Formats: sequence, C-alpha cells, structure tokens
Amino acid sequence: MLKIENLSVSYGSVRALSDVDLEVLGDGILHGVIGPNGAGKSTLLDAVCGRRRPVAGTVHYRNEDITRRSVAWRRRQGMARSFQRTSVFQELTVHEQLHLVAQHLGDNRLDDVIEVMDLAGYLHQKAGRIAYGVQRRVDVALALIGRPHLLLLDEPGAGLSAAETLHLFEHLRDLVRERKIAAVVVEHDVDAVFACCGKVTVLDLGRHLATGTPQEIRADHRVVAAYLGTAA
Amino acid sequence: MSNRTTTAASERVAPLGAMGGSSLRVPLTLVAVAIVVVVGAVAPTRFAGDFVLRLANEGLLLGMLALSVAFLMNQAGLVALGAASIYGGSGLLFAIAMNDWNLPPAWALCAAFLIIVVYATVLGALIVRTNPLAFMMLTLAAGEMISHAVMLEALRDYTGGADGLVVSFKGTVFGMEAADFASPARFWVVMWVAAWLSGLALWAVGRSRLGAILRAVRENEERMRFSGFDTYLPRLIAYVLVNIVAAVAGLLHVLNAGFVSPESLGISVSTNSLVAALMGGIAGSVGPLLGGVIFSFAQDEFGARGLTQLLTGIAIVVFIVVFPRGVVGGLSSMAWLRKLAFGGRRETS
Ligand SMILES: Nc1ncnc2c1ncn2[C@@H]1O[C@H](COP(=O)(O)OP(=O)(O)OP(=O)(O)O)[C@@H](O)[C@H]1O
Ligand SMILES: [Mg+2]
Repeated sequence: MLKIENLSVSYGSVRALSDVDLEVLGDGILHGVIGPNGAGKSTLLDAVCGRRRPVAGTVHYRNEDITRRSVAWRRRQGMARSFQRTSVFQELTVHEQLHLVAQHLGDNRLDDVIEVMDLAGYLHQKAGRIAYGVQRRVDVALALIGRPHLLLLDEPGAGLSAAETLHLFEHLRDLVRERKIAAVVVEHDVDAVFACCGKVTVLDLGRHLATGTPQEIRADHRVVAAYLGTAA
Repeated sequence: MSNRTTTAASERVAPLGAMGGSSLRVPLTLVAVAIVVVVGAVAPTRFAGDFVLRLANEGLLLGMLALSVAFLMNQAGLVALGAASIYGGSGLLFAIAMNDWNLPPAWALCAAFLIIVVYATVLGALIVRTNPLAFMMLTLAAGEMISHAVMLEALRDYTGGADGLVVSFKGTVFGMEAADFASPARFWVVMWVAAWLSGLALWAVGRSRLGAILRAVRENEERMRFSGFDTYLPRLIAYVLVNIVAAVAGLLHVLNAGFVSPESLGISVSTNSLVAALMGGIAGSVGPLLGGVIFSFAQDEFGARGLTQLLTGIAIVVFIVVFPRGVVGGLSSMAWLRKLAFGGRRETS
C-alpha cells in the first residue's frame, strides 16, 4: 500500500528525517508511529501526504511513485490525513463541512462517518464553537470521508483523556480491520498504541529506530534506551 | 439563523440553509422583490430630477464595482484594488474599437468585453495563487501599470492620453441610441436592471456550491487541499466573475458619459469602490450597491461644501465605527434585535 524509501526531509539546515525506510501494508491493521518530541513523526506524515517535499527518497503508494503528486491528488486517490494541530473549518457547521467534502469525494455514506466519530449531537454547531475534543473528532471525520485506502492520523488522541484516546483507538482499529485499509497513526500515548496497533515503528532524531509488533518493540533495548525508558 | 434544528430526526435531512417555516414565504418574497424592481425602475424617472438621477446612476455604477470588490472579499477573503483598470479599461477599449478598429458599436462592445475578460483571466491566473496581502498589492500594481500605460506618449494616438477619448456612435446598441444612454432617466432604467442582474447573479453564485467552496478555501485553504479540492480554479473563476461585473459597469459608464477619461482608470476609483463596499456592507448584494449610491450622494454633498476629502474621511471613520458591518449589515442586525425585543419568545442560540 505504502512504501517509503530513503526518505529525507529538511527544514532549512535542520534535517528532520534522514534515510527512513518504511513499508505499510493494506492489511487492516493499525500501524503506530511513536518517538520522542521532535523525532520527525509529523514530518514523516507530511512527506507521505505531500505537504512537504522530501529532499531525497521516494514514496510509493499503491505501486506508483507519487513523490511529486499534489496533496489534493493524493487525497482523491484515497490518502487522507488528520492534523496534530486541529485543522477544521471553524466558521462552518460540522454538517456543512462534512457534507461539502463528502459531496466532492462522491461519498454518500456520510452517516457512517458521523456515527463512527460520534458527531450526531454536534452537526449544526459551528466547529469553532464546540469543545476541543469534539473538534479533534471532526478533524478525523474529515479524513474518514470518501472511504480512504490509507489513513494518516497525527496524534488523534491529543487533547483527549487516556480513556477517550483508548476508546478512539479501539474504534479506529475496528474500522481499519473491517475495511481492510491501511492506517498510520502517530501517537504519544504509548499504552493506546501498544493496545491497538498491530505494528509499531519507532523514530528517534529523524531516524528509523525499529519496526515490529508491540511485543518486539517493548523488548527492543534500543527503543527502551531512546524512548520508553523505564516505563516499559 | 432562526431555523436551527436540534432534534435528532431533522438533523439527518436538514439541507444547508433550508427555508424553514411556511411555504408561503418564498412566493411572498418573490412578489415583494418584483414590486421593488418595477417601482424602483419607474418611480425615480417620474419624481426625481436629472441631477438626482445622474448622481443615482453614478452611485449604481460605483455600486456595481463595490459589488465586485465585496464579493471577492466576502467569499474569497481577497481584497482587490484594481477595479479601476477593468472599469476604465473596458470603456477605453470600447472607444478604441470603434474609433480605431472601425467596429460597429455592438461589436466594439463585445470586443472590449472579451479583451477585458481575457486580461482578467490571465492576471487572475498569475495572482490568485498568492496570499491575500500579496494579492492586494499585485492588483494595485497591475492597476497602476495600466493607468500609467494609458498616459504614455507613444500610445497617445490610441488612448487620447490625458485628454481621454470621446465615444460617439451612430445607430443603436441593444435597441438604444446614444442619446438614450445619455438621458439620465432612460439610463436609470438600464442601470437599475443591470445592478439587479449583477446583484442577483453574484448572490446566486454565493449560494451555490462554488460559493461554499470559496468560503471554505478562504477559511482553511490547506484543509481544503487535504480534502481533495483544487483551491486554485474556484478562486480564479471568482476573480473572473467579479471582473465581468466591473467590465459591464465600465461599458455602461462610457455609454452613458460618451467619454472616457484617464481618471476612470485611476486608483481613486478602486479605493472608492472599496469604501462604498465597506459602507454598505460586504455580506450580500444590496449592501455594496446601496453603499455606492450613498457614496455618490455624499460626495456631491461634501463637494458642495468644498471639503470633499476631509468630510469623506470623517464619514468613513464614522461609518466604520457605527456600522462595522456596513449599513445593511448594521440595519439587519438591528431589525433582528427589534424582533427579539417586541416579537416575544424567540429562542436565542
Ligand atoms: N516548520 C518547521 N520549520 C523548521 N523546523 C521544523 C518545522 N517543523 C518541524 N521542525 C523540526 O523538525 C524536527 C521534527 O519535527 P516533527 O514535528 O516532525 O516532530 P514530531 O516527532 O512530530 O514531534 P512532536 O511529538 O512534538 O509532534 C524537529 O526538530 C522540529 O523542530
Ligand atoms: Mg508531531
């Protein structure tokens, strides 16, 4: 589904990602990405979805090199993302924005998305007026429209309580499994990641540290040293 | 605003901006609009003198420019300062097409219109991609370039330089002779209809899907791209549309005045239309048109006292303090307040 090779991204002189290789299969499991602050997790998603041009490396999506494709093109091809800093349409009602995007992407099953993200009670409120946690759900809902094949979620649990995050992850796990799609989820809440992700990648200082099942990652001494510390 | 529904059943189906309440409301509104259109077209020509009509005509011309500025501001969040080059430019091209290319008036009109639309499309293609501030500066720069180019000595034979060009035609354009266009009363009817048509057209675009997309792009362009939308084309279309309205105003202006002056391409026409839009209120079509008319009458009043600039400045400040959303925006919120006070139990939300 997604194949990243030798990917490097720079912000000016800051190298945020160097030589990252990663493969994500469309096999219906959540792929978690963890790592300390500034490890390059968001940058990885940015490069995959086209928000940032990599300085080197390629991104293949469904067996096609899409490194130079536009953001909108990728979205129409079924690659959708949510944002670490909530990005919704503050002045539009929840229904207006979901409906606008659904119409554009030809998705006539908006009700599913509304149900999964539990937004039925907020449809006619402006997104800017609802609680932050609900705005996070609108953000994810915008990504879920159009039945994407690959979901890129940047800290969907940010701003939610641990219990809410776990709940959201369980929802996502079921959804991804049901639809047999691929999902890359960046998250700080390691417990939720280990509980729901079938595969976990660890980044540190812009480098790929390890990828494996939650058990393997927990046992990896490099990961423990760099990130998990004594918590694991 | 009042038909916000909160019951679970209605949420699923409630279309955006549905007309709640009685089914009588739509036909009644239509009848009211029709009466206003007819009365507005006829009454002033009966009761107002030429002088007042002339001011009113100028007001509606400015109002059409204000309409184009306001639409772009309101829907796309872009402030254009180049309305004058379109307004004056179309008139100038019309004159050139008749004088130098010897086209019959109707053809000259079409030629001028098409050239301006092509110009607006090319310019728009270059500048709507930029951020709002850069956009404003670029429209200003392009406008100034055109207005200076017109004054170039080398182009003087074409443009008439500082003297401008006389536009006289024989025969008829759209069934009207030159003298008809010059008559304030006759022209008022033309102007009234043109203002209504452009107001309605832009209003309809604002309510359409294109309008919804424009507003969403204005608010969060990045998220729109991440939702699969092309954010460039809608803005380009909007830019061309508003310039069509400005070009029509420019052509009507020369038909009426029989003359193109280089001032009609000047920056003050652009800024006046912006001020008129802000005075009337940018959210809708009535506001900018009304703003144009108010501006025109106010300028005359201020000019009579010989204090145009000073009083205009004061008026702008007062307007913006008292009516931050323009006259129409201010009045409509007051009407809403009154209803709240006297109309009893209307729920606020
Ligand atoms: N727009 C930017 N300009 C300059 N440097 C940036 C920019 N965005 C990120 N960086 C830098 O790139 C590196 C990686 O940042 P990134 O946001 O990808 O990390 P992250 O793993 O998502 O961190 P976090 O957990 O805080 O979200 C950091 O050193 C950061 O300071
Ligand atoms: Mg991040």
